[in-house]
Amino acid sequence: MSTTISRAITAVSSVVLGKDEQIRLAVACMLARGHLLIEDLPGMGKTTLAHALARVFSLDYRRVQFTSDMLPADILGVSIYDPDTRQFQLRQGPVFAQLLLADEVNRATPKTQGALLEAMEERQVTLDGVSRPLPEPFFVIATQNPVTQAGTFPLPESQLDRFLMRISLGYPSAETELALLSGSDRRDHASTMKPEISSAELMQQMALVGKVHASADLIDYVQRLLAHSRDSGLFVVGLSPRAGLGLLRAARAWALLAGRDYVTPEDVQVVLGPVTAHRIQASTGGASATSTQQLLEAVPVVRRS
Amino acid sequence: MARVYQVPRHAFPWLLAGALLASLPHLWRGPLWLAVAVPVLLGWRTLIQRGLLAMPGKLIRFPLLLAVVGATLYSHGTVLGPEAGVTLLVAAFALKMLEMFRLRDAYVAIILASFVLATTFLFSRDPLTTLYIGSALVVVMAALVGINDPESGVSPWRHLRQSGVMVLQALPLMLVFFVLVPRMPPLWNLQVNQQQAKTGMSDSMSPGEISRLSRQSGIAFRVEFDGEVPPPAQRYWRGLTYGWFDGRRWSQALPPEVRQQEYLHFANGPPPEWYEQLLAERGEPDWRYRVVMERTGQQWLYALSVPFSNRQEVGLARDLRLVRRTDIESTFDYQVDSYQMPVARQGLADWERRFYTSLPQQGGNPRARQMASEWRAGASGDAAYITRLLLWFNQEEFYYTLEPPLLGENTVDEFLFRTRRGFCEHYASSFAFMLRAAGIPARIVAGYQGGELNPLGNHLLVRQYDAHVWVEAWLQGQGWVEFDPTGAVAPTRIEQGLDAALAEYGESALTGLAGALRGVPLFARLSLLADYIEFGWAKWVLGYSQQNQLEFLSRWLGKVTPQRMVMALAAVGGVIMLAMLLWMLWRVRRPRLVWWQREHRRMTQMLSRRGVPLAPHLTTAQIVQIASQYFPAASQPLQDWQRCYDTIAYRKEITEPMVLRRQLRGLRRRVGRRLIRPMSLNPNPDQQREA
Repeated sequence: MSTTISRAITAVSSVVLGKDEQIRLAVACMLARGHLLIEDLPGMGKTTLAHALARVFSLDYRRVQFTSDMLPADILGVSIYDPDTRQFQLRQGPVFAQLLLADEVNRATPKTQGALLEAMEERQVTLDGVSRPLPEPFFVIATQNPVTQAGTFPLPESQLDRFLMRISLGYPSAETELALLSGSDRRDHASTMKPEISSAELMQQMALVGKVHASADLIDYVQRLLAHSRDSGLFVVGLSPRAGLGLLRAARAWALLAGRDYVTPEDVQVVLGPVTAHRIQASTGGASATSTQQLLEAVPVVRRS
Repeated sequence: MARVYQVPRHAFPWLLAGALLASLPHLWRGPLWLAVAVPVLLGWRTLIQRGLLAMPGKLIRFPLLLAVVGATLYSHGTVLGPEAGVTLLVAAFALKMLEMFRLRDAYVAIILASFVLATTFLFSRDPLTTLYIGSALVVVMAALVGINDPESGVSPWRHLRQSGVMVLQALPLMLVFFVLVPRMPPLWNLQVNQQQAKTGMSDSMSPGEISRLSRQSGIAFRVEFDGEVPPPAQRYWRGLTYGWFDGRRWSQALPPEVRQQEYLHFANGPPPEWYEQLLAERGEPDWRYRVVMERTGQQWLYALSVPFSNRQEVGLARDLRLVRRTDIESTFDYQVDSYQMPVARQGLADWERRFYTSLPQQGGNPRARQMASEWRAGASGDAAYITRLLLWFNQEEFYYTLEPPLLGENTVDEFLFRTRRGFCEHYASSFAFMLRAAGIPARIVAGYQGGELNPLGNHLLVRQYDAHVWVEAWLQGQGWVEFDPTGAVAPTRIEQGLDAALAEYGESALTGLAGALRGVPLFARLSLLADYIEFGWAKWVLGYSQQNQLEFLSRWLGKVTPQRMVMALAAVGGVIMLAMLLWMLWRVRRPRLVWWQREHRRMTQMLSRRGVPLAPHLTTAQIVQIASQYFPAASQPLQDWQRCYDTIAYRKEITEPMVLRRQLRGLRRRVGRRLIRPMSLNPNPDQQREA
């Protein structure tokens, strides 16, 4: 792993305390060109994390707070008639940013959600019949309240599939919380952070992810994981090929973060939960984290016969 | 551009080794120049392979070929015939290696190597040779596997292993073909052993010949009895009779008036009178046995008293011995029923009486003749005369020895009255002379006496040194009666064999190493075992002739017709092929593990056996971590093993697969040696799982 990335990770973890694993996963997700979904209760530091990441990677950062009365144009932008030039002129929406924080994405109506998710997938926006590419790199960090909360429109599975990873931050540990409480506001910290890595450098590292070697044995392991998710009957629906590709890409990024140019089964096992938990549903209706653990334990790492 | 089909480099070790192994038996046997030339040529090829020399051009190869042909002509006088042909073949084969450029040449070399290997059977067919040829074939086939392996940098041992598996797989089919494919008489007769001397008895005997034979320990024949094996004193294996004495030499001859067809009867001819009489007089057979003979190059067969054989090509002569129609050029076996000597109701034919009492006209041996006529006149009858003579042999100072003094003109006189030291031929010869001189019809019988019982196969092993001659005399009212003057002199010879008899006189038949080894019990037991194996080989493999095949198959097929044979062949062959096919399908169904995956399985199995709780989903790092808690002493090699395994299984490219393979195996073994649980540091497994 390049030293700049490790410095960036250190910098972020000085703001978001005690969440090293999640920070690394978030960075890996970025390196793998994936979008990140953070699911947590309000006030757990989701926004702080996104803000800090944007700062240290010196990304152009926008934040949209999703509400139920929001329209697609509020995200994508709108053409306005300019009486002076007698022409329509585009007002770019917040989506034209390098890092978009879509706060509480499940509060918006499905229509608005759809507009965002389409932009995420296509990495371009079509307005008035003209396609406009989004900036490079382009990340979306969406946060979501647990669906049990009132007044939300839960994202359907098909759209959840667009997010490479889903993580949750969770409550801090006692000592972290003590440090948190005795220190100053974390968001202020975040806004004063210095960039540790240029976006060009980030792009370079992203290019390296594709070059991380996945051996035949490893790909075989990934395939057996996917096959088991479909054949075992543990899950309502098995993992899609896109999930498989995502899993491999995330594992590559994780390997790169660990400073290796090849993927090991450990990498796959670490990212398996974040990459697959939001895409599958246990047939018993239990928690999805448990079911990914079941999947992991059911598949041997090395072929036995 | 035409593609050049190169011989893969990894195929060369087996190509060269196969060539060497295929030629080796011929180097032993062939002319000296061949034994020098072949290793030099193969060494040359090795240097070329190493890049130290260039491939020789036509200007070198062509004179070499001429030289080889010339040398063959020089040492054999011809390039035709099996022996010269094989010499030429082996030399040309070694030359062929010098022009092995392309894949096609390598194929030719492999076919030649197989052919050269097969020619070894022309000269030797014993089990050891067969084993050698089988192993050499595995090497030659390994070369064939090698040139067809597209993967480069593979260990040659893998090719050898695959070739071994293939040859083993071919074995059942080979057995079926051996048993079921119709045996045909050879289309042409290769007289391979023409130059080889005839062994065993010859059709005449002069003093010193049998004693020469007695110094050979080669095998004459083996006998397997149905039922009781007769005691040593009854084991007189008759082979030839000598009826003609010229004063010095006894030989097998017939008076000119006797017709061959009347004297010798084969199954397909009209039975002569004497034969029908024998058939009429014989009772129940006394012995039933099977004789398996080694090559002799002669026609004589050996059997007890009056023998009848089931074989078409075996005939019975009037002097009651078996004769084969053609010379015995390879292992030959025949079944015999032996009957007691019949009591002759009729007398001898006139020619027989004349012939069997004839002595040289011009005199000689006057003292012996005189003593014979005096004693006969003083005896009450022929039998009394013979008894007195035998008693005389027994009581006078006669010695039994392998090294008798040379005899001059009057052999019988000199032996009986002066030297008195002799071997069985001296006793038989002078005894027969004394009988004839007294007017009693007598003939000398040559054959073998005794034989060693091999308790493993319960068969008799008769060696060349069991060669013996004795006398048959015609007694009125009794017929031909056996007398053994040697038995009168040295009864030990008959009861215990040559060695024991000679030992009484301080001699030994076998000198040198063979003689010294005979006394060692371990060697004796080993040679019994070797004899047992060789006998089985001779019986079941070499002796599996056309007739044996017919007999064997008719037991299963009833009547043996070509259609039935083909059907049996197809059925048994089909079943075997089907079984192999099923097995292969079963093998293909399960994906093969690569070597490091097998190595991983061995490691986890080893750790599990030693009580380390391992689940299949654990990664190598986790396995190593858990195992290290159980066996701290193995921690370091475990980590090394994990690093090595991950490198092989997950890293980009492995440059040295063989090195890594050996390394991985070595690390596993090192872990195995370190799996010692320290009693004081024994962690509680349950706690470990919690952590």
